Amino acid sequence: MSGYTEGIITLLCINAIAAMGVSLLTGFTGIFSLGHAAYMALGAYTTAILTIQHGIHWFPAILLGGGVAVIVAYLIGIPTLRLMGDYYSIASIGLGEAIRLILENWQSVTRGARGYPGIDPYTTLPVALGFFLVLALCMFNIINSRFGRACKACRDDYIAASILGFNTARIRIYSLAISAFYCGVAGALLGGFLSFIQPVMFDMMKSTELTSVVVFGGLGSLSGTILGTAVITLVTELFRPISQYRMLIYGAVLVVVMVLRPEGIMGNREFIPWIRSLVGRKKS
Amino acid sequence: MSAFFELVHLTKNFGGVQAVSDLSFAMEKGELAGLMGPNGAGKTTVFNLITGVYDPDSGQALFKGEDLGPLKTYQVTAKGVARTFQNLRLFQRSTVVENVMTAAQQHIPYGFVEGLTHLGRWRSGERAIRAKSMELLDRVGLADRANQAAGTLPYGHQRRLEIARALALEPELLLLDEPAAGMNAEEVNSLNALIRNIHQDFGLTILVIEHHMDLIMEICKHIICMNFGAKIAEGTPEDIQAHPEVLKAYLGEEETA
Amino acid sequence: MTTLIQQIINGLSLGSVYALIAVGYSLVYSVLLFSNFAHGGFLVIGGYICYGVLRGMGGSIWFAGALSLVGAGVAAVLTERLAYRPIRERTNVTLYLLIASMGMSIVIENIFVIVAGGRFRALPPVIPTAPVDFFGLATTSAFDILSLVTAVVFLGGLQIFLTKTRWGLAIRAAAYDLRTAGLMGVNVNRLISIVFFVAGALAAVGGIFLSVRYTLYPQLGGITTKAFIAAVIGGLGSLPGAVVGSLILGLAEMLTAGFISSQMRDLVVFSLLVITLLVKPSGLFGKSVGEKV
Repeated sequence: MSGYTEGIITLLCINAIAAMGVSLLTGFTGIFSLGHAAYMALGAYTTAILTIQHGIHWFPAILLGGGVAVIVAYLIGIPTLRLMGDYYSIASIGLGEAIRLILENWQSVTRGARGYPGIDPYTTLPVALGFFLVLALCMFNIINSRFGRACKACRDDYIAASILGFNTARIRIYSLAISAFYCGVAGALLGGFLSFIQPVMFDMMKSTELTSVVVFGGLGSLSGTILGTAVITLVTELFRPISQYRMLIYGAVLVVVMVLRPEGIMGNREFIPWIRSLVGRKKS
Repeated sequence: MSAFFELVHLTKNFGGVQAVSDLSFAMEKGELAGLMGPNGAGKTTVFNLITGVYDPDSGQALFKGEDLGPLKTYQVTAKGVARTFQNLRLFQRSTVVENVMTAAQQHIPYGFVEGLTHLGRWRSGERAIRAKSMELLDRVGLADRANQAAGTLPYGHQRRLEIARALALEPELLLLDEPAAGMNAEEVNSLNALIRNIHQDFGLTILVIEHHMDLIMEICKHIICMNFGAKIAEGTPEDIQAHPEVLKAYLGEEETA
Repeated sequence: MTTLIQQIINGLSLGSVYALIAVGYSLVYSVLLFSNFAHGGFLVIGGYICYGVLRGMGGSIWFAGALSLVGAGVAAVLTERLAYRPIRERTNVTLYLLIASMGMSIVIENIFVIVAGGRFRALPPVIPTAPVDFFGLATTSAFDILSLVTAVVFLGGLQIFLTKTRWGLAIRAAAYDLRTAGLMGVNVNRLISIVFFVAGALAAVGGIFLSVRYTLYPQLGGITTKAFIAAVIGGLGSLPGAVVGSLILGLAEMLTAGFISSQMRDLVVFSLLVITLLVKPSGLFGKSVGEKV
């Protein structure tokens, strides 16, 4: 396998991990986030600082990177998620901006806008694949459990959800925390892949890319999210020459999908049950 | 001895409109009572006050001696109260059985880590949740439609699904808000049978809001009638049918010959 | 002391521009109950039309301004027709509208990036920016006074429109309950178009002033985030709230920039949002949206 192909697959794994986080929050819990790249940035920078300046091994450092993202998510989530309405969405834009500002201006710690070089390239293909497979399995499991049903209840009808005994505020916050962890880990892996991170890598474009991928794949389908990530990552690579159109395309994808086919590619179906149903039909 | 469920001077205003006005009545454990009144009488608002959707301006909703008024909705449910909605609030995109499972899981817990890893009590827990849900679906006659999307069910079946979902919460007090709305005579009869059935089998205390006279007079021995937010009559079906205030509320003023 | 007064005037001037944007956004929110994240796009459209007319045609500021208003208003109406109405007619899930609005915002911004290029453009100096002596207390620029006055004029005009005209009354009814307004015979689709036109036009005015203050570039629409935050602080859906929130925000920003540091401005804005949500989430004049259960 060539280095180039390995690189693409690694990048795919990283993007898919972040996308799965957004999928849980937006697709399954119904909360629209506009600043999820901020959590990636938190993970990336935390891990970079821990590995380079404190000599911590990359594995615990990645987990701690995810942890920092979770803590910040809690701080933002607690005031905003107990309210229904667009409050978290607006706050998430603000968060993205605030994190970017802090990263650019806290030069002593983050080396500022020029970026943080010299990260040990710990994200090899096996590492990325390993994280992806484990985290994907965990996410599928979460969705097929009590918590997954609780998230969907909050998404589909929060009044009914509370009448069924769900503390919707708490569920939404947990969902945000988990999604932040996934993005934090993805960010940390990205740092180990590129050996270099810069605040501008985690800007609105990245956040929009994550949301577009989830919408395109299908809100409420994890398989769709992974499929969407694969499609968009590959298309982005293939169409490198027209990369200045990327944002325009992401934006257009969002609008077109919402207007024409809001259920995206997979709707709320997952691969395995869908394949089973096809096979089942053949039998009868 | 205090009643099992009691409203005491319950009052709610919405910016000048008296939605519920000094409402008081009591129910014994295991009763099947009915709440009736013309449209806009405030019946659903009473349910909303009991279940924490609104906060009462004054008065109490005492369930087993405890005031539900200041509690949030999910806390009220945890105390053993379940309700259905006038306008149906099913999870349309989920399947019929998933709707019930979402409620059934409340009494069959397992930890988050077990959910994450699908180890430990996940398998037995999920199996139990599904089994309990299918049992309830069977009771309301929807077992064969378990894997259909809830939104695709015919209206009458959607109402039954909501009841099954509420039962999955293992409540002690069940509040049914117009369960027969939009049903024809035959469906109402079968709903009557279902309500009587669950009343007996589960030993539930049930309060029904209903317009359909056939239902409410048939199955409720204790009826409270409201109009303009206040109680205008209370008693047995016979008392209610003969009560002049009730007749006036439904039929209008009697013309003096 | 003079710095304080200067910064206060600066703050009010900036806040009044935010108010134009926040009010339009709040107006849409009060009727449709969703945050139109594409609102920034209307601002940018207004700015570029004004620039194009001034530079390309050498027109007067009045002509350029009028064309901007109309252009942005029309763009807003088109956005609603193409992107939001099809979704609105099919479902009442506001999440889809939010996502579509974000998409539109990105599409509009990037169309300008591609067509006009990312350069910062200065508007021809037709709006006076000369220093003005403010009652001997401080020196401020004519620009600040002008933007304040313009904002007051437009907001006053909006107030008259809402209280003294039939469509204004219809809009206020719709803000209370859209469905009932429709049942009362209001042409809901036309009402929504009018609301969007007004919101777009107001955003255009804001955009013109912001282009002078910060120069014109495609990402200028990002400033609407501050207007959103102002609207939340004032209470989503409340127009007086949007104005008050905007003034508070403008003042907070300018006082921070003047007395602490310019970098901290945005952090202060964000902190104000978090504080509001913690202390009084419905904002200062919040409209409590109760769902019929």
